[in-house]
Amino acid sequence: MVSHDIDVVVIGAGPAGLAAAIKAKEAGLDNVCIIERGEHLGGLLDQCIHNGFGLVYFSEDLTGPEYGQRFIEKANDSGVESLLKSMVVKIFPDRRVAISNEKGFTYLSPKAIVLAMGCRERSREALLIPGKRPAGVLTAGTAQRYVNVNGYIPGKEVVILGSGDVGMIMARRLTLEGVEVKAVVEILPYVGGLIRNEVQCLHDFDIPILLGHTIVEVHGSERVEAVTIAKVDKEWKPIAGTERTIECDTLLMSAGLIPENELSRMAGVELDSVTGGPVVDSSMETSISGIFAGGNVVHVNDLVDNVTWEGEAAGVSAAAFAVGKAPPRKSKVHLKAGENIRYIVPQTVIAGEEVNLSMRVREPAEKVRIKVGDILTKGLRAVKPSEMVKVAISSKEWENPNGEICELVVSCENRR
Amino acid sequence: MPEQEIICTGCPLGCRVTLEFGDNGDMKSLTGNQCKEGKEYVTAEFKSPVRIFTATVLVKGGGRLLTVRTDKPVPKNALKELMFAIARVRVEQPIKAGQVIIPNVLGTGANVIATGSIPKLASID
Repeated sequence: MVSHDIDVVVIGAGPAGLAAAIKAKEAGLDNVCIIERGEHLGGLLDQCIHNGFGLVYFSEDLTGPEYGQRFIEKANDSGVESLLKSMVVKIFPDRRVAISNEKGFTYLSPKAIVLAMGCRERSREALLIPGKRPAGVLTAGTAQRYVNVNGYIPGKEVVILGSGDVGMIMARRLTLEGVEVKAVVEILPYVGGLIRNEVQCLHDFDIPILLGHTIVEVHGSERVEAVTIAKVDKEWKPIAGTERTIECDTLLMSAGLIPENELSRMAGVELDSVTGGPVVDSSMETSISGIFAGGNVVHVNDLVDNVTWEGEAAGVSAAAFAVGKAPPRKSKVHLKAGENIRYIVPQTVIAGEEVNLSMRVREPAEKVRIKVGDILTKGLRAVKPSEMVKVAISSKEWENPNGEICELVVSCENRR
Repeated sequence: MPEQEIICTGCPLGCRVTLEFGDNGDMKSLTGNQCKEGKEYVTAEFKSPVRIFTATVLVKGGGRLLTVRTDKPVPKNALKELMFAIARVRVEQPIKAGQVIIPNVLGTGANVIATGSIPKLASID
């Protein structure tokens, strides 16, 4: 069966997908459908029971479930349809979507697609940690699901590898549940997550953070019994003689997130090797006409509020495309990462459009100036790789490049 | 002179702000901040460090957990005690988000409220 009467299909019902579907529906489309492999809408917001969600978007301090519920209710009220427990197994370049669920196999042929699959945690395999493969090694997000949704406590003595936000949040959560968190081990010389999490999740509970350290061995054959850690040199190589063994029964990993783009790749969407997500323009359109993307599938955001905004932008653009009202593709300006900039999203800007740039720096720095070519300069007190730098460029700040494709270098320079 | 260091969480700078106290315990100086907001944050954090408490409680007859939080910040040194206060709570279904689960928990003036909803007889396992 191929259904042709769907306007927009959104893949994934997390914060980006919900925001995209709501905006597409609010634009007046008849048929907007979210396809979600899980059992309910909201993605993983249900397991993020801590607060700090919506501080920017709602100017309120909400927990994950509360933040998610606002969008779930809005999606239901506005008439967004959803296919739950349904897995998109393939997207074709002509925008056909193949779906597998309890009822079998079906195709949808929407006028536009929004990719909102989010991201996945880097696993032990991806981190290449030597040692045996005992039980008790899991990602911080899996532990979060066990504790907050299923009600299991994964261990009694825990070491956390990586100082990402989920790891730090789980350090606090497990400590409150009576688990001893022995250390957070971070290979970099600085904490990977937000400063408020470092203070409120680690310092508040006197959890040691070992910067410039990594795990060189996991001990135990049935169950984790200990980990050996070591200091690392400037090339992140363990320094011989600095090894130390910490007894523990559980190792959590919080060492980075990777945008989930198997479907995008199958469809032939161009991916950015730095972000791991689709290359998008300022309308959040990917390299394939009519396929849009927003949220952590594009690049890993620091705050859910930013994910929501990106999803909304993708939803608005997908709706316009579906009714044939996509703005004409005038000249595009390519943004190139210059000094101390790791990446910029969107990678290209439709000249003359108002745009919010999200970028990450390579190294922490103080008293810096963000420059977008010669059209914008913004001073910032401090930048860190863990915290997204956001720069808004109004439509009038763009020069008129007379239809020519041009390039702008974005840089983060010292003011001194 | 006794000292205390507080890290400001206002921006990515994460200023390490040092407070110095006189013999009578009065704050004598506050140094290391780089802005006015930082001074305000650190002063408030010193006088009364407070946090929103979030956790889960068990639901009677249901295999799932109810997520909860306090409706206002509570002293940060009360967080562990609050875990004990909620440990024995078993709530009755149905529950609507925002519903008060424990009023004025441990006399903090904050209510523990539901952050999720559980429909009646969500599950019987």
